[in-house]
Amino acid sequence: MRRPIIITLLVILHFILQTTIFHYFEIRGILPNTTVILIVSYSLLRGKNEALAVGLLCGLLQDIFFGYGFGFYTALDLVFALIISLGQKNFYRENYLFPMIVCVLATICYETVIFFFGLLTQGQMNLTAYLWNLLLPECVYTAVATIPLYRLLFAVNDWLELKEKYKYRLF
Amino acid sequence: MLPFFEKHKKKIVIALAMVLVCCAVLTAGRKKSAIFLESVVGFVISPFQDLTTGLSSWMDDTVTTFTQTTEQADRIQELEAQVAILEAENKRLALYEEENKTLSDLLDLAQRYPQHPTTGAKVIAKDPGNWYDIFTINKGTTQDISANQVVLAPGGLVGKVIESGATYSKVMSILDSRSSVSAMSTRTGDLGVVKGDYSLMNEGLCIMEYIDAEAEIMVGDEIVTSNLSETYPDGIPIGKVQEIRTDSNGLTKYAIIEPYCDLKHLTEVLLIDKSEVAQ
Repeated sequence: MRRPIIITLLVILHFILQTTIFHYFEIRGILPNTTVILIVSYSLLRGKNEALAVGLLCGLLQDIFFGYGFGFYTALDLVFALIISLGQKNFYRENYLFPMIVCVLATICYETVIFFFGLLTQGQMNLTAYLWNLLLPECVYTAVATIPLYRLLFAVNDWLELKEKYKYRLF
Repeated sequence: MLPFFEKHKKKIVIALAMVLVCCAVLTAGRKKSAIFLESVVGFVISPFQDLTTGLSSWMDDTVTTFTQTTEQADRIQELEAQVAILEAENKRLALYEEENKTLSDLLDLAQRYPQHPTTGAKVIAKDPGNWYDIFTINKGTTQDISANQVVLAPGGLVGKVIESGATYSKVMSILDSRSSVSAMSTRTGDLGVVKGDYSLMNEGLCIMEYIDAEAEIMVGDEIVTSNLSETYPDGIPIGKVQEIRTDSNGLTKYAIIEPYCDLKHLTEVLLIDKSEVAQ
């Protein structure tokens, strides 16, 4: 019972920080995509079920508070959680480079999906501005932000797993 | 010698005393310089006196200086503490002043639309993504905020409410690429539509599209909301024209608008309920 509560609190805390305090860390108006970092971390650390839960919660919160319609971010985050958690099995969790690369790739896909939806609904197409002013700085910033955030989530997860090990006598 | 002195001690002492008394009587009130013997004695003794006095006064000085130094150090510390307190106080008051200024500006703005009820609100959170510019404010349906109310800040237009919950409302600013506001230039009356653009959003600029190619709009013109809009009351200042470009089709122009209010650092906003008319 401990794990669902902690994951829910973590996602809500992340959302609150992301929408208020993280804005002070903006560089040229660009923020790292911490939602993607959260989803990627949980996909890689815990697998499909928890990644889907995290994606659902993140997407719901963003849709409720900042969506124009309802459901776009929820669907997007769920699909991302599903796709990323497919490759969870074969890697060492202690490695930082792999989550970093996955985060950058996921950010590229995530923003490109939003770009094409914007293109479909509004007909705005400014590919160079998108690539140079948004995607490139965001990828770099996300890659840098992945290291501390992944480390933090890794530690939280480690602590939870230790508690569970004693409780259920798993290993 | 000594037996002689032993023998006549009393007499010698008396004689000496008398001689000295005579001297004292004779030299009383003397106004001449010291005699030789006196000078010699003075010459030998006075440097030592000088030295001793100097020494004692030096000691005195040192001790006083030392005590003074500690006292002064204490005092400096005290004053520094006082300065710190005052500075903190000053900063607090400066913040109050700032807040007071924004609030009174908002009040000014509210008085411009006396026919509609107005509400002040605080910005509580901003869109975490890098694409759009939506923020939430701390008032909702319980404070009679509903969708399509107009949001203003000191200076001019901010945007409109797109959805409101019980205790919060979502506001879409004019920088968001999904928002569009019917606008006109006050000098020439040329109409257009002010839209957001994601490539200009981070610089706090927006664009005015669909301006007629023959329009005489100029850099520096004031742009206000037009009377064609259902959502926005007419005449709300939006911003100034920063640059004018011609579209690739050659039929229309578009202008880059610099909004009057700093949309990147909003803290307090004012909401106007256009549907209701105050008595």
